[in-house]
Amino acid sequence: MPKVKTNRVKYPEGWELIEPTLRELDAKMREAETDSHDGKRKCETLWPIFKVSHQRSRYVYDLYYRREEISKELYEFCLDQGYADRSLIAKWKKSGYERLCCLRCIQPRDHNYGTTCVCRVPKHLREEKVVECVHCGCQGCASGD
Amino acid sequence: MAHRILRDHEADGWERSDFPIICESCLGDNPYVRMTKADYDKECKICTRPFTVFRWRPGRNARYKKTEICQTCCKLKNVCQVCLLDLEYGLPVQVRDTALNISTHDSIPKSDVNREYFAEEHDRKTRAGLDYESSFGKMRPNDTILKLQRTTPYYKRNQAHVCSFYIRGECTRGAECPYRHEMPETGELSQQNIKDRYYGVNDPVAMKLLGKAGEMGTLESPEDESIKTLYIGGLNSRILEQDIRDQFYAYGEVESIRILAEKACAFVTYTTREGAEKAAQELSNRLVVNGQRLKLTWGRPQAPRPDQDGSNQQGSVAHSGLLPRAVISQQHNQPPPMQYYMHPPPPNQDKPYYPSMDPQRMGAVISTQEAGGSSTSENSGASSSSYMMPPPQPYPPPPYGYMPSPYQQQYPPNHHHPGPMHHYGPPPAAYQYPQQPGPGSRPPPPASVVSAPTPDSAPTGSGAPSVSSQEPPAQ
Repeated sequence: MPKVKTNRVKYPEGWELIEPTLRELDAKMREAETDSHDGKRKCETLWPIFKVSHQRSRYVYDLYYRREEISKELYEFCLDQGYADRSLIAKWKKSGYERLCCLRCIQPRDHNYGTTCVCRVPKHLREEKVVECVHCGCQGCASGD
Repeated sequence: MAHRILRDHEADGWERSDFPIICESCLGDNPYVRMTKADYDKECKICTRPFTVFRWRPGRNARYKKTEICQTCCKLKNVCQVCLLDLEYGLPVQVRDTALNISTHDSIPKSDVNREYFAEEHDRKTRAGLDYESSFGKMRPNDTILKLQRTTPYYKRNQAHVCSFYIRGECTRGAECPYRHEMPETGELSQQNIKDRYYGVNDPVAMKLLGKAGEMGTLESPEDESIKTLYIGGLNSRILEQDIRDQFYAYGEVESIRILAEKACAFVTYTTREGAEKAAQELSNRLVVNGQRLKLTWGRPQAPRPDQDGSNQQGSVAHSGLLPRAVISQQHNQPPPMQYYMHPPPPNQDKPYYPSMDPQRMGAVISTQEAGGSSTSENSGASSSSYMMPPPQPYPPPPYGYMPSPYQQQYPPNHHHPGPMHHYGPPPAAYQYPQQPGPGSRPPPPASVVSAPTPDSAPTGSGAPSVSSQEPPAQ
């Protein structure tokens, strides 16, 4: 993931408009990576990583699919350069997964009984109202709520 | 411990099984249970051999439970794999062994290689189908153990553990914390050790239970020397007078036997006090007639009936009045006091109507009802007394004039005061009638309770005098 402007990478037009936000998000990610683990549970230390990654991908996705402010070329460029997660965005395009938090939460192999994470359950169907899913700290990513 | 590398399942004596051996309480209240099975997932807490771990959630408000000991160990002591309590009685190993006088204790080695060898040998024999000397199937139940046993499943033990961060005041998880935010119980009972519990040695819960068992076994003789009558409860129509006579004639000359079919009880009167005492002593926990287990206590002389408006309980217990009050109330509590859909309709008023017969009352402590239910507590202040149909007057006050009503006022409706030992009936908080014993037929339980409300009844001092003034002259 290039953080430094090198000469080899050719930035398509429109890049200057989105660059500051992307750099900010990168910085946030760097911060999440280097945060100390004190006072946090073992799983909790990873949550900011997932959160920032979601946020970043969300930004790019929104720009292209929702607001349509960048070109396809620029969008592909972002994906290639690692500013957004391609597979996560692929999920967002599906109905019912528009707000998916991370890819781990829908992976049945990662869960007992081959189910998905509790954060995927809509709030009105759950018994416990406040949850933080153990993978990414998500508090509910069902499309309904 | 030996370092375990799986080479060959059979040879190493690692255990595999298909379904856990667990008790009802540990399985939970939900008829649908999803369970994971993991072969050789953990080592048995007793014999440290790897075994198949099953993990499930016993109900909605429960934590996940898993099997803690292997099936070999569990079969050796006939206990549940999770809670290590006996499968049949729900009692700790020590209690069951003492009560039934069996001792598997010595034959099981407890240390190191010896133990592993024994467990493996045992396992091998079982798998080979050889009959080992398990005597658990042939044990005959004893009265003591029948009294001690747990009859309904106890789901409180499936609750989540106490949040250790909360204890220190540091729980940052807040609402989503799955652990209980309560202070832990302290005291002797909280220092339990799984090995002690399994081998039946030095188990604090067991000691407590055995202590209780020792005390409750004795049926004390009443102070009133003239009482020669024993009350028998739990009768059914198949039990004839002759059957009762057969049981009781051996202890002394029987003056009379009176059976009251509608109350499912009988009274046996001896000509001599000694005969009655002997019978009580011998049969007190062991009375079985025609296969039916019966309850035996001392009878109580009929109290002089005070004049009361409303239906008169005491009088309408017309049979012989030898019924201890506590027992009357108990009888009516026999139908399980649970809020099920099909309540029998309240009986019509020509039969005696006890407050305890109203199924709505049973344990359901609703504020209006409860306040109204403390019928003689005119001091209830709340107008709920008028709201209730004229509540039948309770029994005349017990000898020491203790009324539970002022006591009840002090507590929020749903508080069930733990109170004294409740061998003889439901907790006092919900009910109006006093749980008082017949003179001396029980160890004085409310004595401790009497002292408790006296500081409390000071504020309702106005109430108390009014209560007592209403009451008919004591007997």
